[in-house]
Amino acid sequence: MFRTVSIIVFLATIAAIALHDVASRLRLPAGRRRPVNILKGLVYLLTLLFLEQRLTLLGRLKKLVYLLALLCFVVLAITGFYPVLILGKHISGYLLMIHVTAGGVFAACLVILALTWAHSHRFNETDWPWLASLVRRELQKHRLIPESSELLRKVCFWLLVIAALPLMLSVVLSMFPLFDTAWQHLLADTHRYSTLAFAVVAIIHTYLMIGTATSR
Amino acid sequence: MKKGLALTGILCWLSLALAVSADTIQKLGDGSDGSRAVPVHLLGLYDESGASIAANDDRAQPFSMRQTCRLCHTYESIGRGRHFNYTDPNVACGRTGQPWILVDAATRTQIPVSYRSWPGTYRPEQLGVSPFKFVELFGRHLPGGGAGELDSNIPEEGIRQLISGKLEINCLACHNANPGQDQAEYAGQVTRENFRWAITASCGFASVSGSAAAQPDTYDPLMSDAIKVAYRRNAFDFRNRVLFNIVRKAPAERCYFCHSNLNLDGNDSERWTQDEDVHLSAGLTCVDCHRNGLEHNIVRGYEGEDRVSKNPLASTSTCEGCHLGTGSSAAPAEGRLGAPRPKHPGIPPIHFDKLTCTACHSGLWPGEQACRTKTSRAHGLGTYNVNKSADALPHVLTPVFARGADGKITPHKLFWPAFWGVVKDANVGPVGLEAARRAVGQALGEERAPRSGDWLPLTREQIGKVLSAMATEESVEGKPVYICGGKLYRLDGAGNVLENEHGAAKPCLWPIAHEVRPASQSLGVRNCQDCHATDAPFFFGKVAVDCPVGRQAQSVKTMVDFEQLKPFYVKAFAMSFVFRPWLKLVILGSCAGLAGVLVLYALRALASVVKVLSEENSRGKTKE
Repeated sequence: MFRTVSIIVFLATIAAIALHDVASRLRLPAGRRRPVNILKGLVYLLTLLFLEQRLTLLGRLKKLVYLLALLCFVVLAITGFYPVLILGKHISGYLLMIHVTAGGVFAACLVILALTWAHSHRFNETDWPWLASLVRRELQKHRLIPESSELLRKVCFWLLVIAALPLMLSVVLSMFPLFDTAWQHLLADTHRYSTLAFAVVAIIHTYLMIGTATSR
Repeated sequence: MKKGLALTGILCWLSLALAVSADTIQKLGDGSDGSRAVPVHLLGLYDESGASIAANDDRAQPFSMRQTCRLCHTYESIGRGRHFNYTDPNVACGRTGQPWILVDAATRTQIPVSYRSWPGTYRPEQLGVSPFKFVELFGRHLPGGGAGELDSNIPEEGIRQLISGKLEINCLACHNANPGQDQAEYAGQVTRENFRWAITASCGFASVSGSAAAQPDTYDPLMSDAIKVAYRRNAFDFRNRVLFNIVRKAPAERCYFCHSNLNLDGNDSERWTQDEDVHLSAGLTCVDCHRNGLEHNIVRGYEGEDRVSKNPLASTSTCEGCHLGTGSSAAPAEGRLGAPRPKHPGIPPIHFDKLTCTACHSGLWPGEQACRTKTSRAHGLGTYNVNKSADALPHVLTPVFARGADGKITPHKLFWPAFWGVVKDANVGPVGLEAARRAVGQALGEERAPRSGDWLPLTREQIGKVLSAMATEESVEGKPVYICGGKLYRLDGAGNVLENEHGAAKPCLWPIAHEVRPASQSLGVRNCQDCHATDAPFFFGKVAVDCPVGRQAQSVKTMVDFEQLKPFYVKAFAMSFVFRPWLKLVILGSCAGLAGVLVLYALRALASVVKVLSEENSRGKTKE
């Protein structure tokens, strides 16, 4: 079940990203359109060029933590999804050991990123002009959809923070002698599906960050 | 002429039809009328010819179970039950059980034998053990039937069988609740080849003197008093009937005669120091779970038995069947017989895919080294003159955690086969016991076995001598070898003894189910490190490689060898549990941090909304 759902969700995510990319290119005037450059995207991803390139101590720390988190995310995604999607069985053995080790580091990185990025990802009035208008009963004067992907990026960030909670709690609670077998199954399912949600949102978030950076 | 032929034909048909119908007719005791009350078994006794036995008979004959019980029960149907059908090659052998262990101290032999084709066991005939001999060796702990009722095809044994009779199914061995039922006496009678007398001698109201084994081939049991039966006269009523205290549910003490274990675990090596199975302590008996109908197809109770057993309760009479109710019934099935539903708090469900229930709940709590154990059938427990020494052969070890045929790790009993064999067509098989005795006697002369029943030591040189002697034996076809301690010993062209590990020398293992410990004494009840410590006996417990050769430098194996796991992986996995508390701390801290950020910004968002709404209110008031 989870295997099928995962495959469908990942394919849908990739398709949605591809469609979004094509659509955003088509929206541009003919003269400004550029061909799809996957290599450039990869360079942005691996060199973290899509991050702010400030060289303050905090900036460096944020970049380092993000790099570590990204690495852990890749390791966790491979060790977590490979046995399920490719081998069709649950994670075990060396993969489990690597997964658990990377999971601890990722959790620490995630909380640092949440603390350092939360302020810049807070919603403000410009993100919700239609809401403000709605409150002020001036709906017809404003467009419903903001122009940039800034809002979506912020939404993704907060979704990541929200999804991380059941993801981590489900696994840590299962380690305590608190829950019986039925609950253990529920916790395992919670971990699986919240991981899937987290992974999808993380992919979209990274795509949006790269997209924003490359368009700059 | 034609009339004669027709008459003969009709008679033949009639006799055949009668014979068939006799087997298919339901007798009084073949089916239940539903009453849970136990019928009184006040019965007349019949000898094996069907003649009635009276209290005042001059030359009393032993009573026959077949003739006495068959008036109400279909004896042949019972004979197809699990305890009696082991010689039938068409019967599915099911999960590996405890084989019989043929021990011969002089030839340094301890070898698993079984009529069931369990892996790692040898058929008795491979060792030159005929069914008659098999019964003589192991009948002490057989409830009769099976090999005991086979006709010998060896002429000399056929004559002996006329004297000793057959070992009929001994219904009383299990169903007689009379405290006088004496299975030790039964075992003694079997050892003396008193097969037809064994049931009578053990029933509690008769005694038998004399030995069939000591009688000449010309002995006629009907004409001689050399083997004498004396019935207790007051056991018979005025109609020459005897009251048998027959119970449907065999008492646990009856089962114990053949199914006892004595673990020789240091200080706890006395029976009274060891706890019974938790189910028995809770008031159940063996047959509450191991049930059967008239056909005596008793449930063994292991997972997957329903695939080979026709017993309708086979799928539900497992640990899961009672405790979890995993049967296909639409009605709630869990909690049968008051079985508590296990919670297993904090145990990751993957454990249930990789381990049997018994892995955590049964047998001894694993120690640094698997300990020696004795079983009724292997060591003749409960019989007269049993060797009580802890060193008595065979050397059986427990608990050994090994991967079972279903891929799950389960506790086993284990012993290392040791026997003289031959390599023929790349297969190793045992040589006949007599041939081995001749070769050992010729090469090593007369030796005195230790009183403890332990191994007679054996050196490589002695092995070489015996192998050379065996090569001259006419009955030995193939290259002679000696198997022991996981190794195969053979001679090279120059007469040197070579040794190497060999598949045929692998240990003989069989899974155990009892004694079940209470949940509070199960593995993992304290913490994960009951098993996942870097030195946890579950993975790193030692198993001695038992062998008469080079006993001073006895080697050991670790549990991971039997669990088919890589030691490095298990060690690394166990190491990760050292850091498990840190991991929990980091993740819980991270969760707290993330929750804090979320709450903080949710409050800020709420504050913004409140602010906007306040602005609206103040704007409205200003307008007013």
